[in-house]
Amino acid sequence: MQSAAAAFAWEFGWPRRWIPVAIGVYLVAHGLLKPLLLGSGATVDLGDGYIAFALVPFSFTFMYFIAVFSFGLNGDLAARQSIFPSRLFTLPVSSAELARWPMVYGLAAMSMLWVIARIAAWWPLALDLPIVWPGMMMAVVLAWTQVFMWMPYGFRGLRVALAVTVLIALDTLVILAINYKTSEAALVAFLAPQLPLAYFCACLVVARARRGVVPDWHMFSRARRDEAATSLSPFRSMAAAQVWFEWRRNGRSLPVLVALVLPFELFMLFVGGFGSAGFVFEVLIAVLFTPIAMAGFTAATVSKANPFARDPYGVTPFTATKPITSVALIAAKLKMAMWSTFAAWVLILLFIPIGFSWSGADAVLIEWWRSFVDQVGMPRAVVAAVLVLGGLMLGTWMMLVQSLFVGLAGREWLIKTSGFAGLVFLMVIGPIFESIVESTAALRWLWNYWGLFPAILVVLKVTAAIVIARRLSRSGLIGDRAIVAGAASWAASVFVLYGVFVWWADTSLLPRYLFLLIAILAVPLVRISAAPLALDWNRHR
Amino acid sequence: MAEPVISIANLSRRFGEKIALNSVDLAMPRGAVYGLVGANGAGKTTLIKHILGLLQAESGSVRIFGLDPVAEPVSVLSRIGYLSEENDLPGWMRVDELIRYSRAFYKNWDDAYAEELRQRFALDPAAKIKTLSKGQKSRAGLLIALAYRPELLVLDEPSSGLDPIVRRDILGAVMRTIADEGRTVLFSSHLLDEVEQVADHVTMIRQGSIVMSAPLDDIKASHSGRSLDEIFVSLVGAPNT
Repeated sequence: MQSAAAAFAWEFGWPRRWIPVAIGVYLVAHGLLKPLLLGSGATVDLGDGYIAFALVPFSFTFMYFIAVFSFGLNGDLAARQSIFPSRLFTLPVSSAELARWPMVYGLAAMSMLWVIARIAAWWPLALDLPIVWPGMMMAVVLAWTQVFMWMPYGFRGLRVALAVTVLIALDTLVILAINYKTSEAALVAFLAPQLPLAYFCACLVVARARRGVVPDWHMFSRARRDEAATSLSPFRSMAAAQVWFEWRRNGRSLPVLVALVLPFELFMLFVGGFGSAGFVFEVLIAVLFTPIAMAGFTAATVSKANPFARDPYGVTPFTATKPITSVALIAAKLKMAMWSTFAAWVLILLFIPIGFSWSGADAVLIEWWRSFVDQVGMPRAVVAAVLVLGGLMLGTWMMLVQSLFVGLAGREWLIKTSGFAGLVFLMVIGPIFESIVESTAALRWLWNYWGLFPAILVVLKVTAAIVIARRLSRSGLIGDRAIVAGAASWAASVFVLYGVFVWWADTSLLPRYLFLLIAILAVPLVRISAAPLALDWNRHR
Repeated sequence: MAEPVISIANLSRRFGEKIALNSVDLAMPRGAVYGLVGANGAGKTTLIKHILGLLQAESGSVRIFGLDPVAEPVSVLSRIGYLSEENDLPGWMRVDELIRYSRAFYKNWDDAYAEELRQRFALDPAAKIKTLSKGQKSRAGLLIALAYRPELLVLDEPSSGLDPIVRRDILGAVMRTIADEGRTVLFSSHLLDEVEQVADHVTMIRQGSIVMSAPLDDIKASHSGRSLDEIFVSLVGAPNT
């Protein structure tokens, strides 16, 4: 290895030598599955479920490249210090060269990804995609992410806030340009100059980071902090201390992300040409689902140990040696997730009236609400709104905590297998749904036996719950009384929800047992109950 | 005879092909300073993790205060003070927040003693953990391990984090005080001169097996007054790394 360029190529390429193999397998699978699922010669449009098969791995690889080439996997994203690996600062090369090679190889990787996506779109999807600008957009997003990641900041968390804001602004501009049918040449003219500009900025920030410059903008808050340092009151209990610990570690990420994304979503209401009722509802749905989507991003950190610990999957000795039960540790995480969800939804419920009334889009919603009330009556309309809102809040909370039982198990193989299974599920669910919708025989079969699916899921859920309850009891993590009390509370919640469903949709078209099955599936049980077992398995290896 | 603080019988543990602990038997009575010595990778940290209940015995048994640390972690851990070799204190906490958080877990937390230690260790309460030097982080870790006067203090390679002045002037004095009060200290180290200065009892470990465990004075007497360093080399047959 004779040059810095070769050394960087080896550092980025060698650990990921499986990627070209995976791409080859994916393209072959693509070529084989498309005729099987859609029939040979069939064309694909953006409404096809099959498109998920193409988009999911493509999006995942894009995000992975962003993380790898910005060194985003290496440390604490919220830290003030540059995330550029300090071990590279001692290499006998200029700062410009340190910035250059990750950017050059990142640009090459993104270009390669776009070329492959273009090939996959042309064959076998037969999609006509733009030639240059999407690839360039990907490279620009990576280049600016690299700058934001490598820059030292004066405040903790500013990196994430700035990166999310600028990248969303960039995305919004491009979405608007597409909406206004801007030509590819104009988009290229907008994006291309950003690459050398980002490189110039990257050279500056790497040079600053290499000199150890970390700005300190805390002068205004220092006096308050010193005052706080002398006036900390003790925690009421160890449970309260643990909830505080979890909140400070992970609780604020979700509301901050929601606060960053929300203004851009609501901004769309003010843009001319988007005045239709359909678009207003699209924005409303996007806003309502923002906490769930953002919770998906922050969920991984909830179950992660200290990134600087020797074993990134294990429980750190600092936490593992505290005289507190694994159940109490999980309870603190669940409570933190509850507060985090609450904070995120306060923002949503605060911003929706402001955004919609200022833009004048509230008239569309009020009109729709009146017509809904006319159809179902005020009590049912209010209960439906409460159910939807409660469901979305529960969904946000579940998104934060549902993978605890995987992440806290601390086994790399389990975490990676689970991630891969999730990816495969996202890839295949679209084509499966598509093939069912387009098959009359499949639809007829479903019409006759559709009640079977929730019934099977209920059997699986209840069986898993019984197995987990027995293991919890045997392990002594939770006393038998607490297990019985928990089961009784769960059953009561199910029956209340069932009662509400039956009252709301009092119809002979749907059998009542179906409402019961839905209520059983809706109230969380298995994944939450499995979390203490997973943590205990990790804590006492 | 009083029940031993630590009682380990026939403990074995493998990590894949590697035997980390091989039929370890150990009994540590109350009120002494125990030095656990061995080369890097000998199994010291693995043994300590079993004592803390962070690892489960594959075969054999581990009892701390007569309790299984895996089955009853709260009862055991509330009586143990532990300084980790890993320096894994949360960097985002301030020193005063670390003290406030830690005190919530221990009924016997002594505020006056914690403050005395903080001043002795020259720790700024408003300083963030991540801004502290390696030595200062170890001092902060030692503070929260000592402030509730645990019955058993376990220090995993304290020499690797603490600076020489703290090691010589403070750690030795703290260990002696604890032992004099009838409590127990177990510390692992590969610095044999340090072990020789403070330990009453030395356990030598090599490739997962205990090669010697006896009072320091007995070891020296049986080896014609040679230094611990020389005895270690003669027993373990490898340079002290």
